[in-house]
Amino acid sequence: MTIFKFALKRSFSNTTNIIFLTLFPIACIFLPNGEEWPFLPYGYQYFGLLILFVGIRLATIILEDREKGVVKRLAVAPISHFQYLSQNLLAYSIILILQCIIVVYGGVLLGKELYQPGWLFILYGSFSFASLAIALAWISIYRNKDASFLVYMSLIFIIVVLGGLLIPIEIFPDLLKRVAVIFPTYWLAEGLKWIVFSEEILDFLLINGVLWLYTIVFVIVGSIRKIN
Amino acid sequence: MKKLMEPLLFVNSWRFLMMGAFIHLWVLGDSQISSFILILLLLLMTCLRWRFALPVWFVLVDILICFFYFPYTDIAYYGFALPIFELALKGKCLFSLFLCAGVFFAQASSSFLFWFFFQAFFFGVFSFIFLKNQEMYRVDIDEQRKVRYELERIKIDLLEANQSVSHQAELMERYRIARELHDHLGHDLTGATLALQAYQYVQEPEEAKKILQEVKNRLERSTKSLRETVHNMTPMTRIGVESLESVVRNFQQKDIEFKKSGNMLLVPVHIWSLLESCVKETLTNVAKHSNATKVEVDLQVTESIVRLSIKDNGTAKKLSHTGSGLRSLQMRSRSMGGSLSISHENGFLVVCVIPLDKEMLNR
Amino acid sequence: MRVLSTVKFTALRMLRSYIVLLLLLVVPIILLTVFSFILSGAVPESGVPYINETSMTQVLVFQLFGGSIVMSLIYNDLFTENKIRMYALPFNQTMYAFSIMMCGALFSTLLGALLMVYSQFVLGVMWQNWLWMIYIISLMAVLSIIVCLIFTFSVKNFKIAERLSEVYGIGFVVLAGLFFPMPENGFFDFLGSYGNPLTLSMGAIRDMGESNIGDAWFQANILLGAIIILFVVMLILGRRKIG
Repeated sequence: MTIFKFALKRSFSNTTNIIFLTLFPIACIFLPNGEEWPFLPYGYQYFGLLILFVGIRLATIILEDREKGVVKRLAVAPISHFQYLSQNLLAYSIILILQCIIVVYGGVLLGKELYQPGWLFILYGSFSFASLAIALAWISIYRNKDASFLVYMSLIFIIVVLGGLLIPIEIFPDLLKRVAVIFPTYWLAEGLKWIVFSEEILDFLLINGVLWLYTIVFVIVGSIRKIN
Repeated sequence: MKKLMEPLLFVNSWRFLMMGAFIHLWVLGDSQISSFILILLLLLMTCLRWRFALPVWFVLVDILICFFYFPYTDIAYYGFALPIFELALKGKCLFSLFLCAGVFFAQASSSFLFWFFFQAFFFGVFSFIFLKNQEMYRVDIDEQRKVRYELERIKIDLLEANQSVSHQAELMERYRIARELHDHLGHDLTGATLALQAYQYVQEPEEAKKILQEVKNRLERSTKSLRETVHNMTPMTRIGVESLESVVRNFQQKDIEFKKSGNMLLVPVHIWSLLESCVKETLTNVAKHSNATKVEVDLQVTESIVRLSIKDNGTAKKLSHTGSGLRSLQMRSRSMGGSLSISHENGFLVVCVIPLDKEMLNR
Repeated sequence: MRVLSTVKFTALRMLRSYIVLLLLLVVPIILLTVFSFILSGAVPESGVPYINETSMTQVLVFQLFGGSIVMSLIYNDLFTENKIRMYALPFNQTMYAFSIMMCGALFSTLLGALLMVYSQFVLGVMWQNWLWMIYIISLMAVLSIIVCLIFTFSVKNFKIAERLSEVYGIGFVVLAGLFFPMPENGFFDFLGSYGNPLTLSMGAIRDMGESNIGDAWFQANILLGAIIILFVVMLILGRRKIG
């Protein structure tokens, strides 16, 4: 578990990362409530956006490894690509899960109206994994860290808007409403809606299931080993 | 050679294009959440196929997924395009056709579906044949390459054997000369030396005269046998630089100037044979292809290298590639650790440089 | 004026920075298109379609990030990679820095103008006063460049300066209340109105559209004043660093 340990250490080594990983989630708790929309406080609606950002920030560490040739050295080390990838991903998901715990249970402690914090936490967890998987698939295309981050940032804004996380999906025209389903952010928004109105438990399972399917698909795509 | 795109890339592109088609159908069609999960599941299978080489029976999973969705959505029918394609891609065309017909008649409404399946089947068969052919060509090329490498190996072995044989022959010859000298000259000369030593101690003039006569006889005999030995051993054929000179002399189409410098005896036999064929080949080339009037052949031998340069004053630049004769010479010179370079600027110029191996000489 | 001969190349470098073009031109175009789809036909009581307001906001928001390219060019040319070469050249380095700034401001304004052209001719947004809009856009561009340069000069680590410039952009968008309403107290009210370049410029354009010329000029002049003050700050900081 050496790689796991160092992946954790590296994630916290840089100032920007510490801000991203600790201050922003805490700031999320303190954002105000919306009037009509969103149903949860703003911080909880936008936390999905933050999860996407944190996902790419963490995943670029793997890209950095590739850039600096660490992957090449690992290829000759007595360690398999699977071990390298799984331990890194494990470390990142633990960080993401910790953030979710801070945000959800911090909100509970402060007395925010979160309806069902347990389910909310599970939803954020599923979405964190999906976000990490998407980021992993994304960086497998790139060689340069900054370029991948900047382009991903613009992509995030577009899918967040189209997925109905930033703007309520009800005001979309019909076609865009259908297209929105393609984006993982749509499922997060749906999940948040479920938390507030809590209909059938089956719907919630379906939402999580879709997020997990996205996770598996993108992990398969992103697990490709690129040495250069 | 510029590398074209791999055919497998197109196979994968087709798979993902199908996903695009399904999503299109879904957006235009029922847009139910449950059928979107069908698309996600098919996408999962496609990703797995893209990353790993799955066995044929894995299409059963696709078929099962689509089968369970039959009652719920039309996309499930279209989804069968994937297993049809995969089966055809793996060469199971009959199964593929069977599946095609089965699903089509089970649904039996949309003629569009027929064309959809048909293109999947067609592209699957096409990719199968294409990939198969590529595989065959690859095996073929590999075999040819192997044979070519073996041939080259044998060539180099032969050249080395040639070199070692000439060395052996030289050693045998040295041994023969030594034996000849020992047998025919040695005894007489030793006898003469002994007789001369005896002559110093002899007092009687009669005896001394006899001994002197004996010495004279022996020396005469040994001189004669030396001459005979040398005569017997001098080869009738021309070797070394003489053979080169004779080649040049016998070549009468062009005006040839032959220059040489250095100690020709330093050059071993196998190098002479290379130099000779080099001169012959080049002169033939000049006679065949060049409009030159004058050829300069320059042979320099130093302590460590032999350098042969052949230069004409021709202007023709027709031969851009190296002919097989010169190529084989190039290879032979390389196998001796030397090099043969050809230039077409300012007339045709061939320079052959072979290092002289001192250890070989002293062995 | 040897510096003038470098202007062409500075302009070329800017036009060839694909990531900047992607972030400041392609992304806003996509977002504008998406918004125009979403808001198509939505007209409130005032009679002006929502999309007009949204595209104006978008154009101005992306001006907040216009300083990043000037920042990276100046950092590369005068502090790190090309520093020695630039100082070996027979021209005034300060003037060169100014020329990069001017180019960057023009470039940023041009991108803004392109967005306006796109939204007018493709999405059918009506801009009331082109000249005023471009004036405000250029003010925003200059302000953003000056702020970015102040970060570059005052922070040792360039990475942190880059992050700060992002904070400047996103921070003022958040303070303007575009993501969610800010709490109501004196501090946030000030930063959501006269203390925020984004709301100032939006207000100036809105007032010009409603023919409140006095108010419009007042808000634009606040921006201009901020530019002048920050320019002096930048000069003082820059002299220490470059001179």
